[in-house]
Amino acid sequence: MTDNQKNILNVRDLSVNFGKEEVLKDISFSVNEGDFLAIIGPNGAGKTVLFRALMGLIPYDGDVKWRTNIKIGYVPQKLMEKAELPLTVKEFFSLKSKNLFFKDKQIANSAVHELKSINIDSDILNRQLINLSRGELQRVLIAWAILGHPQVLLFDEPTAGIDIAGEESVYNMLHKLQDERGMTIIMISHDLNVVYRYANNVLCLNKERLCYGEPERALTNEQIKRLYGENAFYHHLH
Amino acid sequence: MVIDNQFLLILISGLFTALAASLLGAFIVVKRMALVGDVLSHVALPGIGLALILSIDPIYGAAVFLLAAAFGTWLIEKKTALPPEAIIGTFFTATLALGVILVPNEELFESLFGNLFAIKKLDAIVIIAASSMIFSLTLLLSRRLTLSIAAPDLAKSAGFRPDFSYLAFLLLFALSVALGIKLIGSVLMGALTILPAVSARNFAWSLKSFLVFSVIFGLVMTFTGILISTVFNFPPGPAVILTGIIFFIISLFFKK
Repeated sequence: MTDNQKNILNVRDLSVNFGKEEVLKDISFSVNEGDFLAIIGPNGAGKTVLFRALMGLIPYDGDVKWRTNIKIGYVPQKLMEKAELPLTVKEFFSLKSKNLFFKDKQIANSAVHELKSINIDSDILNRQLINLSRGELQRVLIAWAILGHPQVLLFDEPTAGIDIAGEESVYNMLHKLQDERGMTIIMISHDLNVVYRYANNVLCLNKERLCYGEPERALTNEQIKRLYGENAFYHHLH
Repeated sequence: MVIDNQFLLILISGLFTALAASLLGAFIVVKRMALVGDVLSHVALPGIGLALILSIDPIYGAAVFLLAAAFGTWLIEKKTALPPEAIIGTFFTATLALGVILVPNEELFESLFGNLFAIKKLDAIVIIAASSMIFSLTLLLSRRLTLSIAAPDLAKSAGFRPDFSYLAFLLLFALSVALGIKLIGSVLMGALTILPAVSARNFAWSLKSFLVFSVIFGLVMTFTGILISTVFNFPPGPAVILTGIIFFIISLFFKK
């Protein structure tokens, strides 16, 4: 495949302003099929805002070009306002149906299939979303996102609030998704471990693009200091 | 107490009103819009006043004003991202004040608190037809609406338009309030909408059970309230609400 055919996303000079405040400034990068791009940066760097712009959820300046007919799955950090809604996991999946009212057998079966592929027992289906633990909810959100087999997965801070053992399994699972389905993954992370271990490309973000490229080359001590403001503690896992 | 045609007319109109209101109420409650829902009802009043001045059936005056207010609410929330309460609380309370001035005294009590006893056959037909339509449309809307409430970003990422679901919902709610004026008046319409849902939430284990219980509670409380009001000669609207409150208190004992 030529470079052009491999390209899945091209971002040129993306800027986002909230009123007078510059949240993102002239961000440029591109993603090819099968890539694992990690987006790292300190709190408030604009990482989630970048995701929302990529998905067209907020207005932006600049250029965001996805491959035509691309299917994107989005796994947000959390669900908003779910506290009042007694929604079961099974019903949550049915909300993705194109059908307005009647039972969607295809979605129901796909849901079971996707849950299985990320190692969740399907008796989670009868539990309410609000009663799930953070880790369980995240897996449900992943299964929801990959329902319909998108080519790209946008993943917002997968391991925020998850314990170490949970972290390992999330990344193993992501790796599996990549291997088995050829998925392209774009992931916001706080964790440099992740970047070195899994990503083939990294984008350092703090309002502007501070680094971009393969982790070994792009992430020098200098860069990390610039990004986080101090020497970050990390392990090299080569 | 005589179970005659008028009584049946009253009962059926009340039940159909409650049918639509209690289903919509489920979504009002989970979207935490109870205040908005309550205040929005007040906009009916100037609509009624103007309609009476123009010698039109007040229900249509109410409907026009309510639909406009619902659309305005949607637009304001979309454009400003401010919580709707601040704007709506002040602006729409002003409309209540305006309405009290516009509506002639004889009609005021009825507009505020309903007068189901005086219902005519034609009114009943309109209420039955419109409520059925609102109920069906809300059911069709329920999936999209639920997703737009639970996870608007996911809704958009899946290619849906949560904005439009919300607008459709507000318009349906506005219509149901217009219909409810006859039964319960504008002041208590908010309560009719949310009481069944807040009670249902204490029993529900799923969205489906939540919606079903909302509707069942709405129907039962309306039926009981109308019965009581007929026997003791109270105004039906307040009787329905007080019955609903008692149900709610009972439901607290079952809270999961």
